[in-house]
Amino acid sequence: MLNFPIWKVGLIVVVLLWGMILAVPNLFSDGFLGIEPKEVSDPTNQAAVAAYEQQLQEAEDSWWFLPAGKLNLGLDLQGGVYLLMEIDPAEIAANRLETVQADIRTALNRNPLVEREPPVQTDDRLTIEIKNPEEDMDEAIRRLNRINPTIGTTQTELFRVQQTGDQFIQLTVPANARTALATDAQSKMMEIIRRRIDPDGVAEISITPQGDNRIILEAPGEADPKRIKDILGQAGRLTFNMANLDPSAIRAAVVSGRPSPRELLVDSMEAGQILINRIPELTGADIATANRCFDEANFPAVCFRLNSSAATKFYNLTRNNVGRNFAIVLDGVSMSSPSIRTPIPGGSVIIEGRFTIEEAEDLAAIIEAGELPARLNFLDERTVGPTLGAESIAAGSRASLIGLALVGVFMVLAYGLIGGFAVGSLLSNIVLIIGALSGFGATLTLPGIAGIILTIGMAVDANVIVFERIREEQANGRSPATAIQAGYERALSAILDANITTFIAASILYLVGSGPVKGFAVTLAIGILTSVFTAFVVTRWFTVLYLRTMRPKRLAM
Amino acid sequence: MLLRLWPEKTKVSFMSLRFVALVVSVTALLASAAFLSMRGLNLGIDFAGGAVIEIEEPADISAQDIRDVVEPLIVGEVQVNSARGTGPDAPDIAVVRFKPQPPVGDETPDDAQNRAGDEVSAALRELIGPERFQIRSEASVGPKVSGELFRSGIIALSVALGLMMIYISFRFQWQYALGAVAALFHDVILTMGMFALTGFEFNLATIAALLTIVGYSMNDTVIVFDRVREEARKYKKLELSKVVDLAINATMSRTLLTSGTTLLALTSIFLFGGPVLRGMSFALIFGVIVGTYSSIFVASAVVLLLGIDRGDKPKREVEGFQGVG
Repeated sequence: MLNFPIWKVGLIVVVLLWGMILAVPNLFSDGFLGIEPKEVSDPTNQAAVAAYEQQLQEAEDSWWFLPAGKLNLGLDLQGGVYLLMEIDPAEIAANRLETVQADIRTALNRNPLVEREPPVQTDDRLTIEIKNPEEDMDEAIRRLNRINPTIGTTQTELFRVQQTGDQFIQLTVPANARTALATDAQSKMMEIIRRRIDPDGVAEISITPQGDNRIILEAPGEADPKRIKDILGQAGRLTFNMANLDPSAIRAAVVSGRPSPRELLVDSMEAGQILINRIPELTGADIATANRCFDEANFPAVCFRLNSSAATKFYNLTRNNVGRNFAIVLDGVSMSSPSIRTPIPGGSVIIEGRFTIEEAEDLAAIIEAGELPARLNFLDERTVGPTLGAESIAAGSRASLIGLALVGVFMVLAYGLIGGFAVGSLLSNIVLIIGALSGFGATLTLPGIAGIILTIGMAVDANVIVFERIREEQANGRSPATAIQAGYERALSAILDANITTFIAASILYLVGSGPVKGFAVTLAIGILTSVFTAFVVTRWFTVLYLRTMRPKRLAM
Repeated sequence: MLLRLWPEKTKVSFMSLRFVALVVSVTALLASAAFLSMRGLNLGIDFAGGAVIEIEEPADISAQDIRDVVEPLIVGEVQVNSARGTGPDAPDIAVVRFKPQPPVGDETPDDAQNRAGDEVSAALRELIGPERFQIRSEASVGPKVSGELFRSGIIALSVALGLMMIYISFRFQWQYALGAVAALFHDVILTMGMFALTGFEFNLATIAALLTIVGYSMNDTVIVFDRVREEARKYKKLELSKVVDLAINATMSRTLLTSGTTLLALTSIFLFGGPVLRGMSFALIFGVIVGTYSSIFVASAVVLLLGIDRGDKPKREVEGFQGVG
C-alpha cells in the first residue's frame, strides 16, 4: 500500500527542482545582491547606467547555470503605453491605385492614342473614357491587363479591368487584392512604426500584427501616449519642390483660390502660405539618412543626406536655379523654403525650424523611416503610469501573501498535520506556477496575480476532496494506509472532471481575451495543471513518507 | 480538536427543500432581470467606449477646477471624482471620465475620441502645470473596438458554456449536462444582476470573473454529480431524491471547505489587492457563494426533476470501485 516507486519520487524531485530553477532568476532585479536600484542613478548619466547594468550582468553571470528567462511584467504592472491601430483597406487600395495612374496614362497614350480624358478615381475605383471605343477598346483593355502589377511577394494582381457601357473602362480592386494589399501594408507599416518610435533600436517596444489590418504597439516605460500618436499620426510624405515666394503671386493665388495648374498653395511653417511646384523634384525615397543636429545659431535642427543618385540630381537642381527658392514639404506643409545661394554638392541638407531637441529627433525619425502607405486609426489606447504600476505590484503581492497565510492557517486548523502537508504542496505549487510562467516567457498582469491568488484558494480543493474521502474511509474502520489508498483512488474521477471543466473555461478566456485578461487565463490554466499535480503527487508523497516513518495507528484529521 | 465546518455524518434532506429553493432562485432571477432592464449595467469603457483619465490631484486643485476646464471641451456629461491617494503622503487622485465623442466634420468616430482625449490631457496639463502633471493611467477606447470587445466577451461565455455542456454529457448523462448548465446560467444572471444593483463597473475583467465563476460553479457541480453517480450505482433501489441527498451530505464538508479557502483568498484580493481588482474580486466572491448554492439547489434539483437512467451498465473506470467500503 505504501510503496511509492522510485521513479515517481524522481519525477517529483525533478519537477520541483525544474520549477525552482526557472523561478529563481526573478530574484535578480533592482536592489538585489546589494546593487543600487536603477531609479537612484540619473538616467541621463550614461556612465552610471552602464556601470549599473554591468554590475547586474556580473551578478547574473556568477549564476550562469540558471536560465535567463524572467517573468515579463505586463504594461499594467510596469507602466507603459498600449495602442491598437487599424489601417483602412479601402484607403490602401485607393492610395495604391493612385500610384499606378502615371503608368496607366503612359500605357494608353502611346500611339495610337486611345484615351479621351485623364482617368477619374473615386475611392478605389478608376474610370477611363476611351475616345474611339469601336477601334481601341480591346487594345486598351489588353494594355491595361499587361501593366497590372502584382502585390508584394504574392501573385495577386492589383486590379480587375472591366468594360462598362460603350466607352468606359473601370478598374476595381477585388477583395483578394485588398487582403493582399492590407497584409503587405501591415508588415511594411510595422517596420516604419518601429523605425519611427525607436530609431536606435534600443527600446523594448513590441509591435505585433492583429488580424489582416491591425497593429498593436506596446511601449513599456513610456508615459506619454500623445507623443507616440503624434509621431505615428503623420503620413511622413516628404518632398522637395521648387518654391515661388513672390508676395504678389501668392496674394493672387490666395484671393482667387486657384493657383496655376502647375502650382500648389501650401501652408508654411515660416510665414503664411507659399506656392510650390505641383511636381516634386525629390521625394522621401531619395533620403539615405536623417538625424538631429544643430544649426549655426545652435538651435536643434534636422540634417539629412540624400542617396548618391539623388545627390547628383540635387546638385544639378541647385546649380540651375541659383537665386530661386526651394521648399522642403512634409505632409503638405512647407517646413522650410531657403533660397539657393550656390550649388549644393554632396547631398547634405538641413531643416532649420526652431525645434526643441525632442521635436527634431522625432522629425528625423519620421523622415528616415519613410512614408506610411496609409493613415493609422487609433482604436484603443491605454496608458499606465509608473506610480500606479508600482502600487499594483505592491497591492498584488500583499494580497497574495495574506491570502496564502489565511488559506494555510485554515488548512492546518481543518486537517492538522496532513493539512500542513497540503500547505507544503501549495507552496511548491506557487513555485511551479512562477517557474512555468518564466519558462514560457508568459506575461504577468494584475488580473494574472488575481489568478494566482484564486488558484491558491482553489488548489487546496483537490487536497480537500481527497482528505474528505480519507476521513470517510477511516470512519468506516479502515487503517490509515488503506484509507489513504482508497481516498486517492475514489477522488480521482471527481478531481479530473472538475478541473477539466475549469480548464475549458481558462482556455476559452485565453483564446478570446486580450492583454491583462489573457494574463489571467494563463495563470489560471497553469495553476490548474500544477495544482492537480501537487495535490495528487506531492501531498501524497509527503503523506506516504509520514506513514512510513511514524507508522501512526490513526490519522488525526 | 480540528475545525469542522460540517458535522461528520449528516442526513439533511436538501432535496425536500428544493421547492423553497425554487422560489428563492426564481425571485432572485426575476429581481436580477428587473435590475438589468431598469438600471442596466454600468458598462466600463471597454464596452461603452469613451475615456478615463486618472491623474494626481495637487492639494490646491479641486475637482470643480478640473470640471471647469474639461467641460467646455467635451460633448455630454463629464464625471470628475476625487479619491484619497494610498499611502501616508501620496497625493490625492482625480478621475475624469467622459463618453464617446460625436465626430465633427469628416472625422471618424475613433478620431473624435482621440482628439477629445488629447485636448483634455493638454488642458489638464496646463491647469496643473507641466512639472506637477502626473498621469496615473489613461484609457481611450473608440466605438469600433468597444463593440468588438463586447461581442467577443459574449461569444467567450457562450462557447465556454457549450463546451462544458458537451464535456458533461460525454462524461455523465445529458440530464446532468442540463442541470449543470441551468446552474451556470443561474449564476451568471444573478452575478450580472448584482452588478446592475450595486453599479460596480462592468468591464473585460468582469467577463473574466464571470468565466471563472462558470468554471468554479461547474467544478462544484461536478463534485456533487460524481458522488450522485457513485451512490446511484451503490444503492440501485433507493429513491433518486434520497440518493441525491446522500451525495450532497457526503460532499458538504468538502464544499464548505473549498468555498471557505477560495473566499478567504478572494477576500484578501478584495481588501488588499488595490482598486483595480476590486470589481473583479467582488464578482468572484459573489459568484463563489451563488455557485456553491446552485450546485446543490439548481443543478442537483434539475437532475432529480429529469431523472437519470439507472439501468446503465456502470462505466468502466468506476466499476473497479464497486463494492469497496
